[in-house]
Amino acid sequence: MQDLVNIFVKSIFIDNMVFAYFLGMCSYLAVSKTVKTATGLGLAVVFVLGITVPVNYLLENYILKKGALEWLIGDQAATLDLSFLSFIMFIAVIASMVQLVEMVVEKFAPSLYTSLGIFLPLIAVNCAILGGALFMQEREYTSIGEATVFGLGSGIGFFLAIIGIAAIREKIRYSEVPAPLRGIGITFIATGLMAIAFMTFMGIKL
Amino acid sequence: MKGLLKYIEKIKPNFEQGGKYEKWHSIFESFETFLFVPGVTTPKKGAHIRDAMDSKRLMSVVVIALIPALLFGMWNTGYQHFLALGETAGFMQEFIHGLIKVLPIVLVSYIAGLGTEFIFVYIKKKEIEEGFLVSGLLIPLIVPVGIPLWMVAVATIIAVVIGKEVFGGTGMNIVNPALLTRAILFFSYPSKMSGDKIWVSGLDNGMVVSDAYSGATPLAQAASTSSEQLTEHGFKFFNGLEKESVTFFDMFMGWIPGSIGETSTLMILIGAAILLYTGVASWKIMFSGLVGAILMGLIFNMFATDTNPFMALPFYDHLVLGGFAFGLVFMATDPVTAAQTEKGKWIYGFLVGFIAILVRVLNPAYPEGMMLAILLMNVFSPLIDYYVVRGNVKKRLKRMSA
Repeated sequence: MQDLVNIFVKSIFIDNMVFAYFLGMCSYLAVSKTVKTATGLGLAVVFVLGITVPVNYLLENYILKKGALEWLIGDQAATLDLSFLSFIMFIAVIASMVQLVEMVVEKFAPSLYTSLGIFLPLIAVNCAILGGALFMQEREYTSIGEATVFGLGSGIGFFLAIIGIAAIREKIRYSEVPAPLRGIGITFIATGLMAIAFMTFMGIKL
Repeated sequence: MKGLLKYIEKIKPNFEQGGKYEKWHSIFESFETFLFVPGVTTPKKGAHIRDAMDSKRLMSVVVIALIPALLFGMWNTGYQHFLALGETAGFMQEFIHGLIKVLPIVLVSYIAGLGTEFIFVYIKKKEIEEGFLVSGLLIPLIVPVGIPLWMVAVATIIAVVIGKEVFGGTGMNIVNPALLTRAILFFSYPSKMSGDKIWVSGLDNGMVVSDAYSGATPLAQAASTSSEQLTEHGFKFFNGLEKESVTFFDMFMGWIPGSIGETSTLMILIGAAILLYTGVASWKIMFSGLVGAILMGLIFNMFATDTNPFMALPFYDHLVLGGFAFGLVFMATDPVTAAQTEKGKWIYGFLVGFIAILVRVLNPAYPEGMMLAILLMNVFSPLIDYYVVRGNVKKRLKRMSA
């Protein structure tokens, strides 16, 4: 239990997707003009990461890893290493999951669907999502519970980052930012300042 | 004063449109309005009243509130220096030593920061706002005395440019420029910002010190207390000289090693009284920050374990150690970067205190959590404000429809 809590806190604050690894920057920069849209995208990312990371965990441990196919073909699996397929498999899972999520949301929550608009399908190409799957593989989580908690935590970390920058962008909308820096430029600088602030948590051992 | 005013009035036409030094108008204007309240009054038919209290006057109050901490810091610098040498010195001798050490840092910070500010003002053809008055004095107070001057200059310039000018100058920055300066120094030159050698002047130049002298700050001593030492005699702090222990009272008064202006909680309280009396700083932020820190300290005290003996440090010690008091009074209350809404101030202040103690105790990489806690809340204060405003809008809509 304590392990799960540690992984959760760690993935939100210490290994924050945006501020520690600078992943998912494209949607982070593109959809952070207002807090409202940022909240929508952030929630969608939490949702997708929370589903794809455990699914990819199952794929990794029961199909792709060396010897993982033992449940299907017995001892022959010991030498069989399919992990070279992991990139393409993970991306396929993410893309199909996003499609599935999109259909479900459209069917059961049409108002949320319309407010998310293009951002929902865009998540398929958000590198924070693939990053989540690959970190899961690299860090060798030992149970599906850990993988789920890691996925959710990373999503919440991204959510915090994007609503934080969106609020800053709303605040500085009427500031006299020098012309060449308006828009994306000042957002990058603000992101850098936020990353400095997030160094608060670096080095905490859990 | 009269003579000065007359002189300014005399040279003023040179800087007006068509005058000899028209180009330098913005810089002349800056000095003029700094020295005297601008001579503009409300027109007879205006619907508003122009108060003589402008942001330059407001900021002078903060500067005055900082003076006690600055003077004490100068004396303490000299006091620690002679203590390390093992010599006895008179009050004036100690103060003058400190003055010689601290004044250059103040000057460098002002020259670097104001220079940058003036260049931007000149390019933008704008009049200068309160500018760098407060930040320039805050920076020397939150750095160790052993810091090389060029580092102060570099960090100040970087902080003023990327922390303030690119956002549109005074009043539009999202993080406190003085804190950003310290953060830049801390992450760029960690060897000059932490350790045992830098807090006392002369120690890092291989000054011959008396026996058994260590320049560690009490906060660092608390962080490195092992569980055996703790069970033996509890937390003990030393005043450089290992034999002499310091009490809570000493730490409150501030004759301990530390950043120049942060050590004396008493002097900071005097500053806080000035700020609160004049209404410049928000008492809500200070109060809720205090509550947050005490609460976190109590939680740690309750769950103290052998693996991290620092958790057992009594909560009241946290309040007088390190930069907590200084940060809470002078940095967290910065009206530009703190939360703007009244309800938001409570949340903002509470989280500053809470996170500061949390980071202090749990993060072994940073001995001082206050700086980063305030920076973190600075970047999230727009979000707090956003939700407070949203909540209010929702409440009023409900009231309207009901």
